[in-house]
Amino acid sequence: MSKGKSFDRRTLLAAGIGLGAGAALARGARAATPPEARIGYFVETKPTMIAKSLGWFADAMKTKTVWHEMGTGAEINTGIAAGGLDFGLAIGSSPVAAGIAEGLGYQLIGMVDNIGPAEEMTVRAAANITKPADFIGKKVGTPFGSTSHFRLMGFLAVNHLSQSQVTVLDMSPEQIVAAWKRGDIDAAYVWSPAKAEILADGGKVYETYKELDADGYVIADLIVVRTAFGRRYPDAVAGFLSAYGKALDLYVTDPDKAAGVVAQAAGVSPAVAKSNLAEYDFVSLKDQLTPEWLGPPGHAGKFAAVLHGTAEFLVQQKSIRSAPPLATFAAAIDTSYLAKVVG
Amino acid sequence: MKTELLWPFTVATAALLFAAWTAASALNLVNPLFLPGPGLLFSSFLDLLLNGYKGYSLPAHIGISLMRVLLGFGSGAIVGTLIGLGMGAAPLFDALAAPFVEFLRPLPQLAYLVLLIVWFGIGETSKIVLLFLTALPVAAIAARDGVRNVPLQRIQAARALGASPAQIFRHVIFPSALPEIFIGARLAVGIVYATLIAAEIIAGSNGIGWLVFDAGRFLRSDYVFVGVLLIGLMGLGLDFALRTIERKVVHWAGK
Repeated sequence: MSKGKSFDRRTLLAAGIGLGAGAALARGARAATPPEARIGYFVETKPTMIAKSLGWFADAMKTKTVWHEMGTGAEINTGIAAGGLDFGLAIGSSPVAAGIAEGLGYQLIGMVDNIGPAEEMTVRAAANITKPADFIGKKVGTPFGSTSHFRLMGFLAVNHLSQSQVTVLDMSPEQIVAAWKRGDIDAAYVWSPAKAEILADGGKVYETYKELDADGYVIADLIVVRTAFGRRYPDAVAGFLSAYGKALDLYVTDPDKAAGVVAQAAGVSPAVAKSNLAEYDFVSLKDQLTPEWLGPPGHAGKFAAVLHGTAEFLVQQKSIRSAPPLATFAAAIDTSYLAKVVG
Repeated sequence: MKTELLWPFTVATAALLFAAWTAASALNLVNPLFLPGPGLLFSSFLDLLLNGYKGYSLPAHIGISLMRVLLGFGSGAIVGTLIGLGMGAAPLFDALAAPFVEFLRPLPQLAYLVLLIVWFGIGETSKIVLLFLTALPVAAIAARDGVRNVPLQRIQAARALGASPAQIFRHVIFPSALPEIFIGARLAVGIVYATLIAAEIIAGSNGIGWLVFDAGRFLRSDYVFVGVLLIGLMGLGLDFALRTIERKVVHWAGK
């Protein structure tokens, strides 16, 4: 039987439609402009706010941006898991470690800052806390699930203190300030503005970050993108990172001007914005590509191990069910977009 | 009774739901993050039971929550009922108290959470006060309406027979209002229960409401489901207890 005869008009028509659709798909992939980009973010005093308030993200991605203010990194995780968000901006490393371990479909594409001393233990000066053993019998407040909570738990683990010796309380930053003012807690692990407020009200810094960073309890704020979004619109993702890079450049070259813009966007005074900004170590896009942090494309840097360690710790805390191997975290880091921006 | 013949339908819907749930998870139709299957849920429940959650055993979490609910609901319902009886009996008292009660009733508890911490600290007091403030207006309004709905003829009949105002209140008004007071109490226990999570996120580290809240933070949906089921069952238990008391005390209601 001659198969050639079956090439009747209907088949040809179908083939034509198929070709047309294929061409349209290819065109769509090349144009790669998303109809919109939905970003989960926090109102905070960081250069990210410059790019947001001046519209640089929208310009660089060539699409409109929809901004959703979040309360915690866990909410960003939920938002991305539910498909309601495309980007998580400046989400903490412990929710990201949890998200990757739980198999949420997102990738780590960049960093905002190495938190360093910006989140730190504050103790009441009058409580006479000078060494780890002095924390026994004290109440310490921290927002559970946050990077601060992770560091505090690390501090207890490193110093062999149990949670029956030190009472760790789950409190939001504003609850910490309220409880501090009443004298209900003697210590808190938190970030500014809550940290600045309690420091001004009889608190002093009890430095833990150097020792903890050395012990692998590094915490950072990161940028994640929904994997499906990143695959489909790589140019928009690169644009997103370049907009942040531009904002970071402005902060580096003209900190006063940057602080002014950040202050307006975050609703604080320029002086407060400037001092808050100074607490963070904003890692340059170029440095992020070094093995010290995220690493070049295809070769995940040391940060994969930090995320892996964080996830294993969260398993001990019963916060997540299980931690996948290091390779899963390495695979979740995709710096190809970043490399495109740095060039 | 007709309603008693309807129980097969209740069982059938529950069984259908359970079958759909089992099938969906067995066939991997849904991500276990969104809907953990019955097997995972049971093993998570056993894990919670054997190992506890973040420093407290499961019975301890449940016990602490029950204590908070009972103290908050109990004090709120008693004080609320007294205020409500006063409001129903004395228009002047109603005029004085109504604005506060009516204002408090629809107020979302999360709105004044920080204030409660500033006033009452981070211990048990602020949590119980929050539940107290939740139960009070519900009980007060039920008691007031109960008093107002007492048929006038009944009061007039008692008065005609020579009863004093105190006797009328004790023997006519209060018993007539009791059924509504009980309905108010059952409503209040439900609302107090719903407020439990809000109360326990005040500097929490224990309680079944806090467990659900904390597990949700890391999308530990298996613990969330176990916690929610336990909260639901505890709520049913409390409601059952209240209904039993109600049947004993106001056995005449609805007859």
